[in-house]
Amino acid sequence: MSSERPVISCKNIWKVFGDDPEGYLAKMPPDMSFDEMSEDGYIAGVKDVSLDVNKGEMLVIMGLSGSGKSTLVRCFSRLHDITSGTIEVAGQDIMSLAEKDLIELRRSKMGMVFQSFGLLPHRSVLENIAFPLEMRGQDKHTRRERALEVIKLVGLEGREDFFPRELSGGQQQRVGIARSLAIEPDIWFLDEPFSALDPLIRKEMQDEFLRLQQLLKKTIVFITHDFDEALRLADRIAIMKEGAIEQCDTPDKIVLKPATEYVRKFTEDVDKARVVRAGGLAEADQTGTGDPVDASQTVRKMARMLVDDTRDFIPVSRAGKPIGALSRAEALDVLLGDQ
Amino acid sequence: MVALSKKTAEAITCNRAAMLLLAVAVILTTLQYAAVLPAWLHRIPDAMVPPFAAWLDVVFNFVKDDLGLLKFTRFFTEGLENVLDTTGNIFFGKYRWPHLGPMPWTAVAGVAAVIGYSLGGWRLALLGGGTFVWTALIGQWNIAMETMSVLVVAAPLAFVIGLSFGIAAWKYAWVNKAIRPVLSVLQTLPFFTYLLPAVIFFKVGPTAGAMATIVYAIPPMILMTTLGLQKVPLEVIEAGKMAGCTRFQMLRHVYIPSARGDILVGVNQVIMLCLAMVVLTAFIGMPGLGAKLLAMMGSFKLGRSLEIGITIVLLAVTLDRMSKAWAVKQPVHFDKGTSWFCRHKTLVSALCVIVGFTLLSKVVPIAGTIERGQDFSQGKELDNFIKWLLAVDGVQSVTYGIRYVLNVWVLNPFRDFMLSIPTPAMIMMVVAFAVWLGGRRQGIIAAIFFGLIALSGWWDRSIITLYSVLAAVSIAMLLGIPLGIWASQSDKWSRRILIACDTAQTFPSFIYLIPAIMLFGITATAVVGSILIFAMVPLTRYTIEGLRTVPPEMTEAADMAGATRMQKLVNVQLPLALPTMAVGFNQAIMFAFFMVIIAAFIGTQDLGQELQRTLAGTDLGKNFVLGICVSLMALTFDVVIMKWATDKKHALGLA
Amino acid sequence: MKTMTTALTAGVLALAPLSAFADSHADSSDPIVIPIHNWSSQIVMSNVVGQILETQGAIVEYVTTDSQAVYESVRLGDVAMELEVWEGAFGASFRAAMEKGGIVDVGDHNAVTREDWWYPMWTKDACPGLPSWEALNDCAALFATPETGDKGRYLDGPVDWLKHGQERVESLDMDFVVVNAGSAAALWAELGAAEAEKKPIVVFNWTPNFAEAVWPGEFVEFPTWEDGCDTDPSVGPNPDALFDCGNPATGYLKKAAWDGMEDKWPAAFATLEAVSFTNPQIAEMAKLVDIDELEPKEAAEVWLEANPGVWETWVK
Repeated sequence: MSSERPVISCKNIWKVFGDDPEGYLAKMPPDMSFDEMSEDGYIAGVKDVSLDVNKGEMLVIMGLSGSGKSTLVRCFSRLHDITSGTIEVAGQDIMSLAEKDLIELRRSKMGMVFQSFGLLPHRSVLENIAFPLEMRGQDKHTRRERALEVIKLVGLEGREDFFPRELSGGQQQRVGIARSLAIEPDIWFLDEPFSALDPLIRKEMQDEFLRLQQLLKKTIVFITHDFDEALRLADRIAIMKEGAIEQCDTPDKIVLKPATEYVRKFTEDVDKARVVRAGGLAEADQTGTGDPVDASQTVRKMARMLVDDTRDFIPVSRAGKPIGALSRAEALDVLLGDQ
Repeated sequence: MVALSKKTAEAITCNRAAMLLLAVAVILTTLQYAAVLPAWLHRIPDAMVPPFAAWLDVVFNFVKDDLGLLKFTRFFTEGLENVLDTTGNIFFGKYRWPHLGPMPWTAVAGVAAVIGYSLGGWRLALLGGGTFVWTALIGQWNIAMETMSVLVVAAPLAFVIGLSFGIAAWKYAWVNKAIRPVLSVLQTLPFFTYLLPAVIFFKVGPTAGAMATIVYAIPPMILMTTLGLQKVPLEVIEAGKMAGCTRFQMLRHVYIPSARGDILVGVNQVIMLCLAMVVLTAFIGMPGLGAKLLAMMGSFKLGRSLEIGITIVLLAVTLDRMSKAWAVKQPVHFDKGTSWFCRHKTLVSALCVIVGFTLLSKVVPIAGTIERGQDFSQGKELDNFIKWLLAVDGVQSVTYGIRYVLNVWVLNPFRDFMLSIPTPAMIMMVVAFAVWLGGRRQGIIAAIFFGLIALSGWWDRSIITLYSVLAAVSIAMLLGIPLGIWASQSDKWSRRILIACDTAQTFPSFIYLIPAIMLFGITATAVVGSILIFAMVPLTRYTIEGLRTVPPEMTEAADMAGATRMQKLVNVQLPLALPTMAVGFNQAIMFAFFMVIIAAFIGTQDLGQELQRTLAGTDLGKNFVLGICVSLMALTFDVVIMKWATDKKHALGLA
Repeated sequence: MKTMTTALTAGVLALAPLSAFADSHADSSDPIVIPIHNWSSQIVMSNVVGQILETQGAIVEYVTTDSQAVYESVRLGDVAMELEVWEGAFGASFRAAMEKGGIVDVGDHNAVTREDWWYPMWTKDACPGLPSWEALNDCAALFATPETGDKGRYLDGPVDWLKHGQERVESLDMDFVVVNAGSAAALWAELGAAEAEKKPIVVFNWTPNFAEAVWPGEFVEFPTWEDGCDTDPSVGPNPDALFDCGNPATGYLKKAAWDGMEDKWPAAFATLEAVSFTNPQIAEMAKLVDIDELEPKEAAEVWLEANPGVWETWVK
């Protein structure tokens, strides 16, 4: 996976809001804090972020409101122009793209889902979904065909001619998802897609989303303020605070080894046994004995086995291949919340 | 904290400055009454009045002739005339291409009903169809269609121009900056000032009428377009960008459709203003309902005026309700397999109605046109009835009594007092008022604006205009505010009065002259009367709205504190409603400035009369100077009162 | 608006097949535009002449214009002619237009015109010194209304007739307030109201007009008109003021036309040259509208029917 070139690669990017962000940033001492900048009338939307998103990976950016997560994702698609640093998307430096090329990039490679859906109120479901295709000039027939395909994919058959206001929130977001998928994007941005939905629907949509991802295997940048959601979906999580990334790692690592006090506070109330998987605990230099467990098993799922078993090290395998072994004692610590 | 105390300090100095100015003004006025004030302090000597009008004329003539603007507008006029001739042919059978018309009245009424039904069900269908049936049966078909034929050209043109400017103002900050002050002036400029340039540049008759109407109706369209575009949700914009829209695609597919609601509210205002203005263009020879109404009112034929008034009001209400229904109408999907006919049933039924009634009118001529003598007009009888009614001793002594008391005891002394105040004292009073309510900036604006009026050479007439406005608005407040307070006490009556006010606000301003003339004849009292009725509408309306929107927890708190109704009203509701009521007061003043100019036709002695006089010539410069005088006075009030209302709202935490 | 436009277009399309019935006069000849103003005799006369021209096959349209501004319109060819050029009222505007060019004098009507302050006979009972203007001024209080306070009210013509009533009051230092009527009809309405109570009234009036037949009355005698009274302050009794004389007592009534009319509609122009109405004829026309309450178009038809001998000779 990581052997290929990252799909999005950003280095030291800054996004500063204010009267003269470039000038301010150029003169600013390197260790200015967020608050000090605010006093000068500048807001650091994104503060010195370096990050890679790999192909086929789902990166969840997590943070409270105002932490800069939405700003960051908008820098990836150049809805915001960054103040300094470089962003490469699919190998192109997007800040140097001409308007025409940028439009072309968005038309062919990017899809985005919005928190409050961003649907066009005057267009029917079908027309909303076909909108990106229409913009790139596809003929009516093909775009209708493709739109119907995606409608089926998100389970909105029979509602093609409805208008957004005639749909429930969950259905509207399905339209948003379908629209973002219509052009078959390589990169899929989701900006808090389920935050505006009520909790039951949210769960259902998350399952639906996981199902889609199994099917499509896109490179995904997913924004949320809900830590549980992040843990549920992510391959990797980036936790942001005041524009900067506090920690970027797999859910197991974040839960087990929070890098900062801020991150630790988030993980405090999490039932780690549900999050930590065998793979996360596996130590590569151990082999263990007996039947292996699968790397994707959570500690909770293995609970009975961990309690009943007597081995010190239990082998762990991924896709049938051994990758190491986990320490039963350590796993029990996780299970009992002693860590 | 620091900012607050700074603000308080500024308010104190402002109040002190206002008091000082007022004191000087009182001293000057006293000196004037003691006859020791030198004449040059009472009025600016004629020799010192710069010849603004002559200067403007030089500029206008240069632009008109040397730069060839006249040639250009005359060229444009030809095109416009062709369009108006075409609609004229279709609507009332003017002898021009395409030689199809006139459409049978039954067809027009039918189409109005069909459109009404598709927009708002049976009630609107009834209103739409009914309006045109009334118009035909009362024998006003031709004049109403003359008006409509201009309206259907002016409104779309005003829409397109307003939309384009609105988009430009939204897109480019500098356009916005340049356009705002122009719009403020345009919205306060008396309509006579639109009329003369229209005649000079666009030829007498319907073309000039259409042009004046278009220019008059554009400002709200620009404002609503800009507002609507600014309100498009960010995520919708981003969704558009992520879909890879080019700039034009963004505008065409994302911004404009998303701002549809606001843009259509703009369309509603364009239509209403067009109707109001197209009626007023009777003053420059635009035929139609306005011309007939003007003629009938002028000759005191009140029954017939009333009938035309009803037609205009019905048209206004129909157009208003339909365009509002259109603005809130949301697209609805059709079930699968719906046939083409069902999906386009409005179009299909409209076509059927047109074809059906056109054929019918070939067989039954009365379905095509109602000839004179076949109508149901009771105009003459009504004329005589009203004449008889007003001549009844009781009625006459009452109206004469009102006229006498109002003029001899109130209006004339007030006017003479206003006129006796020395110019500098008057300016100081206005500035004191502006500083006290608004602040330093507003004071400076007031000083500049009234200073310019003093220099314009039309001071006395401006003061008479101001006097009419103030007198009428004061009386309107005495009537309108208690009415609003009373109505706000009950849900039922607030709703009823608000609907009445809403409806009254759709009436073209000209209509308000009818009841005033009915009661007081063609006299100055009628002028005050018509302004009074017109200005009462916003006063009452905003009083109700202000009182009804007081946050419920505050009135509940007052109830729990054991306040009586009166205590609650005086201590809680009125103070909180005051900023909203101030907006109503401001609108009343703006309405009054508009109305006082229209009333010139009854015979006033103010700027309006001079303005109407300029219509008889080519004095663009004088026309403009007079118009600006009205505009400057109105703007002074606008700037000061709106500033006060906004400040107050912030202070009360209501904004 | 879209639905509206659609409906309209639809209407046009639907009517197209039926249009065969419409007049087949689709000739390119432009209509002759005749201006009408806000007093009846002019409106009826314009309709009369318009209908005469229509008998010759011309297409005629009427447009309401201001009676002073119309000379500019005639000059520019926006309207083709002006049928009532009153010397007292419009002489100045007409002369100014002649100087600029573009307008031609098409001869006089066989009528004498006068326009000035005027009162109905019952007024004289209350103010016996009339018709002298000094006597009128002494009785000013008789004409007071609540609106004018203790000064008398003089009801002048509509503002746009530019009658200079205000200037005259000032130059002769009279105790009158000038109130402008909204239209000529308003004058008659006020006269009618005053008649009911035999209240003294002084209004603007003119001859030829129907009013003299309905309400016998007299013009107020102001200082006699001298040339230059409206341009030179030294002329007239007040050496420092303009308009300190009465209007000319025997003024002309002219016809005027756009100078391109003769080339464009030669026949119509020839007819216009022949047209000439007399004082009684003009008064009659006004009466048809102001007293009999006919529509101007009908009034013209009635007049043409009643007076074939007068107008048939004008048509060649």
